[in-house]
Amino acid sequence: MINQNKKFILIILTTIFLSLIYLYSNYYKVNPKAYITNQGDDNVSVVDLVSLKVIQTIKVGIAPLGITILNKKNLAFIGNVGTDDISVIDTRTDQIIKTIKLNTAPLSLTSSPDESKVYITDWFKNNVLVISVEEMKVIDSFKVGKTPSGIAFNKEYNYLIVTNRDSNSIEIYNKNKKLIKKLATGKHPFGVYTKGKYAYTANVYDDTVSVISLEDWSTKVIKVGAHPYNILTHQNLGLVTNTVDDSLSVIDLKIDKEIKQIKTGETPENLDIHQKLNLLVVTNWGSDSISVYSLKNLTLIKEIKTGAQSRSFGDFILH
Amino acid sequence: MRKFILALTTLLFSMSIFAHGPTPQKVQESITVNVAPARAWLTIKDFSDFKKIMKTRSFDDEIMKIKYEMLKTDGPFSDYNAYIIVKKGANDNESVIQWTARFYRTYKLNPPIPEGQDDATAVAAVKKIVKPGLARLKKALESK
Repeated sequence: MINQNKKFILIILTTIFLSLIYLYSNYYKVNPKAYITNQGDDNVSVVDLVSLKVIQTIKVGIAPLGITILNKKNLAFIGNVGTDDISVIDTRTDQIIKTIKLNTAPLSLTSSPDESKVYITDWFKNNVLVISVEEMKVIDSFKVGKTPSGIAFNKEYNYLIVTNRDSNSIEIYNKNKKLIKKLATGKHPFGVYTKGKYAYTANVYDDTVSVISLEDWSTKVIKVGAHPYNILTHQNLGLVTNTVDDSLSVIDLKIDKEIKQIKTGETPENLDIHQKLNLLVVTNWGSDSISVYSLKNLTLIKEIKTGAQSRSFGDFILH
Repeated sequence: MRKFILALTTLLFSMSIFAHGPTPQKVQESITVNVAPARAWLTIKDFSDFKKIMKTRSFDDEIMKIKYEMLKTDGPFSDYNAYIIVKKGANDNESVIQWTARFYRTYKLNPPIPEGQDDATAVAAVKKIVKPGLARLKKALESK
């Protein structure tokens, strides 16, 4: 009898202890969120991806465009092309904790896999700037080709990849900032995406996507909708925003062909996914909103009003 | 004096806005016409003014939207894409026509930006197309 009582008390204590741990961990845990740069409003809309509501609006510099999220460090880096600086947001509190002056327009941003560095394309002076996340300042820069637009980091090869919009090319740098390959793409490559052995560019002027093998440098071109802006891949699908068609092209990467188009808001520009929540989010520059789709069957779940000229060029979902 | 300082500050502030990179610009204007949406849409679909200089990108009868691209621009802007949408007005015989344009300034390289090739000039030029364009459209629709 005494033994049973002891057992009972032990169970109760364990339950209380576990609930406390649960409550504590939840206090510091935030829901996955999307950070939307509204270039016309000089702010960022924070969208809770569970409730699908805008939960906060953060004032940043003028004309925010590019973004990258550091999930492990709970930080969002926002590039303001009007004030030539970076707003750093703590994603736990959604407050700006630092503004980093650049003296040049930051077009796009990405981070190293260990999140110790943020790389920024400097459109005007044809540089890539390197920010130390620990020091929160620019610690290095190096020359790249003309009009660097999109930027992405390939984990598999440790390559930094840059598109040169006005010279119709893609450049691949190794971790010592050495250019190891420059290849032709379609006309006007803007967004770039990389995963595994491939890099992908969206070529605005000739309505195509270039697929570049980082293994043997072979390239192929796939026809998509009008004026594609950015791309990402999920399983065997490529998803591309077509700014003039107000649609997403869905590409079957096994046969390198567009298999269908899905309606978006006006002038869709950029996109990101949250695999666990099974969501695809597209920013609509024209309708000042985001469209949220089920990643599984690509059906629209909700269109959410954000702010004037929603863009979010880069990865913008906090996991 | 205070007014002068205010004006100067505003001017400097707006100049810094226009100094930034090639950012797509947006002009959005609406006009209310005393014509039923379905009728307005039919007329807009074959509005002759468009066909001379525009390439129609798409028609959507369901939501009454036309998208077009300007093929050649003599104005101080480039990469012009726009759409016109007809929405319901306050009553059955009223429609709201909304015109939205996306375009860039002509100069896309490093600052300093040459005079007349900046964002402000481009926006002003497109406004000069959109506003009178809508007024002409209203007149054409209401006189029919």
